[in-house]
Amino acid sequence: MKKNVLLAIVLLVALVMPVMAQGSSESSGAFAPSKDIEWFVTSSPGGGSDIYTRSIEKIMTQYNLVNGKTFLVMNKTDGGGEVGRLQVSRVGAGNNANHTLLTFNSGDHDPMLRNTANRIANFTPIAVMAVDKQLLFIGEHSKYKDWAEILTAINAGKNIVIAGSKGDDILTYGLLIEELGVSENQVSFITNDATSDAITSVLGGHVDLVLGKPAAADQYVEAGKLIPVLALSTSRFTGNLAGAPTLSETGPYKDVENAIWRGVVAPGAMSDAAAEFWSNAFKAVAESPEWKRDYIDKYKLVPEFKDWKEAKAYMEEFERTTLQAIGK
Amino acid sequence: MMNNVSMLFSGFAVLFTFQNILATIFGAVLGLLVGAMPGIGSLAGVALLLPLTFKFNPTTAIIMLGALYYANMYGGAFSSILIGIPGDGPAVMTMLDGFPMATKKNRPGQALLTSNLSSFIGGIIGMIILTFMGPLLAEFGLKFGPAEMTALLLVAMTSIGWLVGENPTKGILLTAFGILLASMGMDTLSGMPRYDFGSIYLLGGVPFVPFVIGVVGFSQVIRLMGERHEETKLVVEKLSIKNSMITLHDLKRLLPPAIRSGVMGTFVGVLPGAGATTAAFMGYAVQKSFKSEEPLGTGAIEGIAACEAANNAAAAGAFAPLLALGIPGSGTGAVLLGGLMMWGLNPGPLLFTSSPEFAWGLIASLFLANLITLMISWGVIPFLVKILSVPTRLMIPIITVVCIVGSYSTSNSMYGVLIMFISGVLGFILSETGYNTAPAVLSFVLAPLLESNMRKAFIISRGSLSIFVEKPISLVFIIILVITILFPLIRLALVKFGVMKKK
Repeated sequence: MKKNVLLAIVLLVALVMPVMAQGSSESSGAFAPSKDIEWFVTSSPGGGSDIYTRSIEKIMTQYNLVNGKTFLVMNKTDGGGEVGRLQVSRVGAGNNANHTLLTFNSGDHDPMLRNTANRIANFTPIAVMAVDKQLLFIGEHSKYKDWAEILTAINAGKNIVIAGSKGDDILTYGLLIEELGVSENQVSFITNDATSDAITSVLGGHVDLVLGKPAAADQYVEAGKLIPVLALSTSRFTGNLAGAPTLSETGPYKDVENAIWRGVVAPGAMSDAAAEFWSNAFKAVAESPEWKRDYIDKYKLVPEFKDWKEAKAYMEEFERTTLQAIGK
Repeated sequence: MMNNVSMLFSGFAVLFTFQNILATIFGAVLGLLVGAMPGIGSLAGVALLLPLTFKFNPTTAIIMLGALYYANMYGGAFSSILIGIPGDGPAVMTMLDGFPMATKKNRPGQALLTSNLSSFIGGIIGMIILTFMGPLLAEFGLKFGPAEMTALLLVAMTSIGWLVGENPTKGILLTAFGILLASMGMDTLSGMPRYDFGSIYLLGGVPFVPFVIGVVGFSQVIRLMGERHEETKLVVEKLSIKNSMITLHDLKRLLPPAIRSGVMGTFVGVLPGAGATTAAFMGYAVQKSFKSEEPLGTGAIEGIAACEAANNAAAAGAFAPLLALGIPGSGTGAVLLGGLMMWGLNPGPLLFTSSPEFAWGLIASLFLANLITLMISWGVIPFLVKILSVPTRLMIPIITVVCIVGSYSTSNSMYGVLIMFISGVLGFILSETGYNTAPAVLSFVLAPLLESNMRKAFIISRGSLSIFVEKPISLVFIIILVITILFPLIRLALVKFGVMKKK
């Protein structure tokens, strides 16, 4: 019986929604999902962004935050993710725009600014959920024992090779060599498709260091295969990563930190009511114990929730500084 | 050693519950179906099924996905052999001999059975090696850094030499074309756009599956349109398993290449990023240097056996780094890895010690999946073969639909379909003008791997070539490479001085 009433309400909302959207998007009617939600992820199934998305989806469904509707996760990897981002940014105003989400983090935002003319102004930021940071690791059979030894080698003019993944890792590497005052030739960086490939090459002894996020390296540290040597953060990590000092502890340097935010955006045409609804739904996820246990703690991220208004300011600031840095 | 055997048996003990066996059968059937449809490879299959498995216990879930992944390697060969459209990378090689054997030689049942049996043999060999030396195998894979991989891939590239056909100039031209095409899209190392012509789609490069389906499959549809009024020559009268049996002589021809490729494929599967396609490629190349009763490429049993055994062995070998180190060897492996995390398991160097029942249950399920898949695919051969007696005028729309669906599903966009049509027209024009398209397809597969490994090697060595001879494994491959290239010249000289007889 209850279900029928709910269904009637949903149907009513579905009928009224287009009318409201046509009238004016500012009309103050509360929004609730009236159909399945298309959630775009611009990387492959099983990757970091995909796990992040599906973790949120699971909690939202569990707490029934979406009016009993289902998420359709679409992994759209064409054009390095640019096609999916462009598609979301172009969804026209109306019910579709209110039921479309896109997983978006600094690793997506940065290449979008570099390679395309698409900007955050074409999206409606919904939330920032967490911040990820990185560390440098050596392999168990490495010829160097700790960061001090590596620093001595670097200062003696020796060559060091760091392996890492795309996007954020390259940026962090750039910040690191700038702070150390060395050239790209002396301390070079190898871009891999994923951190797991970078770990493979350090375990095989083909490179000296691997740069990565805690989640990717956790099990290897646990097994003693990787040893954290430098925290790329303004403070030390906790748990099995506590042994790694920050850069300022090891010499006359400033700490290097490149906070990688993980967020969610929607089409620019999404109504304010819908944006408010989604922002609250993500807030509920961020406050749930499951989120803290199964995502934040498990993958050692820093919880940092920003609602849609704060997220907008945050992403715009990120865009401004990034564009400045790349001279666009 | 004995310990591993007892662990494997404990794995079987985990496996033999009603629920888990059912999961294996379900996975195997689904894998065969998914594999048989071009474009919807194991990656899509595993990714689609993954969310459904979150409700299961992890062991049952991975057993089902493992079986699906495994059965896929069988299914990929079906469309390759019967309609000449390779559904995935490894099947490109199977097509070279499988399709002629099914159509020109009129032995479709035998071609399918050869493929199934070789897959089974290759798989079993891979699994036995995995059982006894899983962690060792993973360590072996680690030894292959960028320099070693570059040398290995260069050796693999030389094997394009025997694919160029009668006109070497045309062959080399198409090889170069394949490499050029593969270099489109975002540069894997620096993220710089290359040859994107301002298009956001080209930024991601030319997708592999639509390209192959187009060049090889759709070009054939265009050709068929010219023959649509001709009667289908092939009439398979009696549909029975008996009619698709291979002779004892066939079996004798099948075994040596299958066993050779099985062992080699396992090791190639372990290498980072190499995977089943490279294994199939190498298997076929190695077979070229052994004796085959009929020339390869004309429907030789040895050709089918060599690549099918290699790709299935590689699929088994790929589990070694995945289970022992948590390193996925392929896209599908990465999805499985994501699955492990979602079920609350931590894949990585600790998996064997922290969840032995899980790891060994999975390995045991691979054995069972291999057996079940062989039985099922053997059973469906008579029905599959019937495809060949469908009149050409009906086949044209059917294959076209298969091509469209296959290329759409790889990226969920019409871009794939567009690429498929363009490559189809291109493939048709090329083959009508006497070009063999195989070198383009194969260099298209290998070039990106070669490029990224070579550039990584040069970053490590600061541009010095010496890295390739300083590392022992790489040196061995370089020597093989030099011998392969120089051998025809040396033989010519030896024949001239009468040391060697003319072939």
